[in-house]
Amino acid sequence: MRDIGKLGGLLLLITTIAATALAGIYNVTKPRIEAQKALELDRALTIALPAAPREAIFPVQANDDILYYVGYKTPEKKELIGYAFVSHGPGYSSLIETMVGVDSLGAILGMKVLNQVETPGLGTKVEETRHGEGEPWFTQQFLRKPAGQLAVDKDGGDIQSITGATISSRAVVKSVVAAYEKLLADRVKQD
Amino acid sequence: MSVTSEFTKGLYKQNPVFKQALGLCPTLAVSNSVESALGMGVAVTFVLLCSNSIISLIRKIVPAKIRIPIYIVVIATFVTIVDLSMAGFLPALHKTLGIFVPLIVVNCIILGRAEAYAGKNNIGLSIIDGLGMGIGFTMALLLLGTIREFMGNGSFMGIPVMGPAFEPVLIMILPPGAFLTIGFVLGFFNWLENKRAK
Repeated sequence: MRDIGKLGGLLLLITTIAATALAGIYNVTKPRIEAQKALELDRALTIALPAAPREAIFPVQANDDILYYVGYKTPEKKELIGYAFVSHGPGYSSLIETMVGVDSLGAILGMKVLNQVETPGLGTKVEETRHGEGEPWFTQQFLRKPAGQLAVDKDGGDIQSITGATISSRAVVKSVVAAYEKLLADRVKQD
Repeated sequence: MSVTSEFTKGLYKQNPVFKQALGLCPTLAVSNSVESALGMGVAVTFVLLCSNSIISLIRKIVPAKIRIPIYIVVIATFVTIVDLSMAGFLPALHKTLGIFVPLIVVNCIILGRAEAYAGKNNIGLSIIDGLGMGIGFTMALLLLGTIREFMGNGSFMGIPVMGPAFEPVLIMILPPGAFLTIGFVLGFFNWLENKRAK
């Protein structure tokens, strides 16, 4: 018991050195990590609203939360192209987040899966790009379809679900429908 | 105890996965594709090199009673450095490896080498030991990743090698496939060892 002060002091010294080193690394990497996140958002918005330049896409906020994005043809807010929003729904083993772009009538202009940790080889196919193809095939099916009326084939819709990953496929479809309905409600509130 | 043997022992004779059966959790979890196996292997090798050198440097001032908490602090520090740098510079890989990067802290290979080797040997040998063990671990992950991705997805590093007629054995890239593969691979190495002994 007598050396408890000495041992505690040494441990304190070592943890202090470790904490200082980590604080330094954190400050160095923080701007890079934030830049990566901004880049990822830019990329997703460009895929969701391909006809709108990035500088002509504006977030619509309520308090500090971004409700949705509005995209125009020019940064001067001329010629509305459509809206982009993030949908999320519980998949098989994770929350699947998707960025979706729609025109003013609700037809899907583009979409990209942002986050998912589904079963490798099955659910992860929601964002799989087949070798030699440029675009992920699962989300490509959504293009030009009305966002409010999507359903997977097993539920009588025309989105072909992924073999062995019906839950993940259905999660994407249902979350897009729900998020589109929320967009409609939010737009009424904003106008 | 030559420098060469200190390095090569980690590759085969004392391979952390196949011979010591250490660090099986990340081995099983991230060996479903060659790419994530390689990323995980490199991350673990880096942490192992850094923790082995620091622990070897401070081994004379670390009292035996609190050596484990000190080792864990050192290891956790390097893992956090890897985690932050990966998020900043290799975001795609960071996303694939997910929770398994922070979990390198509890990878028993790293604490095992600290306790069994770096805490008793000088820094030069500890670095060589860490490098050998890290490469041995990476090779093990790559072997499992290659087998599982090939059988379960018909591809190597994401590039299809089997043609469209190949029906992938899905179970191989699912968790049970990890246990099946490691079982067969461990069995094979033991069989090889027994054959040699005769």
